[in-house]
Amino acid sequence: MLNTLSLLHGLRFIDSFFPSGGYAYSSGLEAAVQGGAVRTGEQLSHYVEQMFRHGVARREAVAVGIAHESLLRNDVQVALAIDHELHAMKIGHECRVASQQMGRQVVRIAAERPAAHAVLRDFYAAMEADRTPGHFPVVLGITLADAGWDRGETIAAFCYQTAIGFVSAALKLLPMGQREGQHLLERWTPLFDECAKEATAATTMTSWSPVQDIYAMRHSRLESRLFRS
Amino acid sequence: MPPLLANQSAMAEIGRVGCLDLQYRREGLRTILATSRCSTPWHLFPPAYLDDSGCAFTSLVNPSGGFVAGDHLSIHAALEEGAHVVMSTPSANRVYRSLGEESRQFVTISVAPGALVEWFPEVTIPFAGSRFAQTMAITLAKGATALIWDSLASGRVARGERWAFSSLRNEIHVTTASGARLLERYDVRPEQDSDSLGLLSAYDYVASFFVMSDAIDPERWPAVRDRVSGILGSLGPDLLGGVTEPPVPGLAVKLVARSAEVLGRARELVWEATRGELFGLERPALRQY
Repeated sequence: MLNTLSLLHGLRFIDSFFPSGGYAYSSGLEAAVQGGAVRTGEQLSHYVEQMFRHGVARREAVAVGIAHESLLRNDVQVALAIDHELHAMKIGHECRVASQQMGRQVVRIAAERPAAHAVLRDFYAAMEADRTPGHFPVVLGITLADAGWDRGETIAAFCYQTAIGFVSAALKLLPMGQREGQHLLERWTPLFDECAKEATAATTMTSWSPVQDIYAMRHSRLESRLFRS
Repeated sequence: MPPLLANQSAMAEIGRVGCLDLQYRREGLRTILATSRCSTPWHLFPPAYLDDSGCAFTSLVNPSGGFVAGDHLSIHAALEEGAHVVMSTPSANRVYRSLGEESRQFVTISVAPGALVEWFPEVTIPFAGSRFAQTMAITLAKGATALIWDSLASGRVARGERWAFSSLRNEIHVTTASGARLLERYDVRPEQDSDSLGLLSAYDYVASFFVMSDAIDPERWPAVRDRVSGILGSLGPDLLGGVTEPPVPGLAVKLVARSAEVLGRARELVWEATRGELFGLERPALRQY
């Protein structure tokens, strides 16, 4: 269970005030909206829930958990291995680049703290030397482990932050307001808990969200775009 | 004399644990099958030469018609320098119902410098209650090229059987000379989790197509990408597809389709476009049933 200091140290990195650049990405949602697959809050909920259950919970969330474990085991090689595997699995160009850019923003600030754990510093050094791609889920897993969050809390926080990204993008893309966005987050909260439990126990990353993957691939060819993915 | 139990075990494996080893070599203008080894249920036919490119067209023939529970089939192909091989299957890869055991296929392909492999099997059809696992490991040397097509049907669509299989695990792992990797891995269990299909439930076919090479001038990829993207956009509302730059040099295509006809058309057109743009070759007319 988090103590107050750990809570506050970690919250900084998942707060929307943190300059991770996440507001610039829609993870393919913009293409899905323009393609007519998502037109309402209800359709958005379905789209995101499916993506969480079969994509995020089984791939990125698993990477978060394994990266978290690498810090507890004081073994940066575990984090480097999962980072490379996640990179290999992120087949869509825009989403892969987005994840790396967000990872870089977080690690720069997390690793420069004087008290930063050696695994976090070594991981950052590997990123700087181009020895690892530095994906956001891996960086966040190490960072929140360093803040004292446990594995389940870290994965749940990652899920929550990812969901906020979808709601934030949806507010610009769909005829929905802040209130409906909050209702969606409330509705998804048990899902984050479920995903965190599933991902905590998982050791292998998989992903099965082909329709969402296709929309993410199609994004770069949209004629007008608000987002970078 | 072996103990009875070991003998029984060996007997039980006959026809169910089959291995196909193929080694290709470039000789003059042609690629030949230099060495080969085959055990049932695989049946090895010599490669055919369907055009004047020298490419060895290999049909992967499993006369049993598909996978039954407990089958463990493997294919190991090695392409020596400059070899060019197309590997395909004469018909769909059927996976029959299983009450427990998974059926498995393990494929390894190593591609030497200057060699080109084109892997274009017919669609995998997992029957209701089937359990299937496929692993493909492809190793590309510097200057090697691979075109990999992999497609899946929801079931025996014509009889109304859709997404009724027990489990299907699939992994395609490509490693390049630079160390860059591509990994597609999924594990679908519609029988356990009826919610596992989501937006895919509107479709009956899923396919991936990867074109990978560090031998192609990077400036040539955008033209291929534009052409493939145009094809995906031209096939109407029964197909949704996207093309992207994967984490290895090349292109990745993902598509879902509502009919076998549109899936087949997409396969033909993207293969034709890729072959034409990159190698100046036409799409081969494969002999299929």
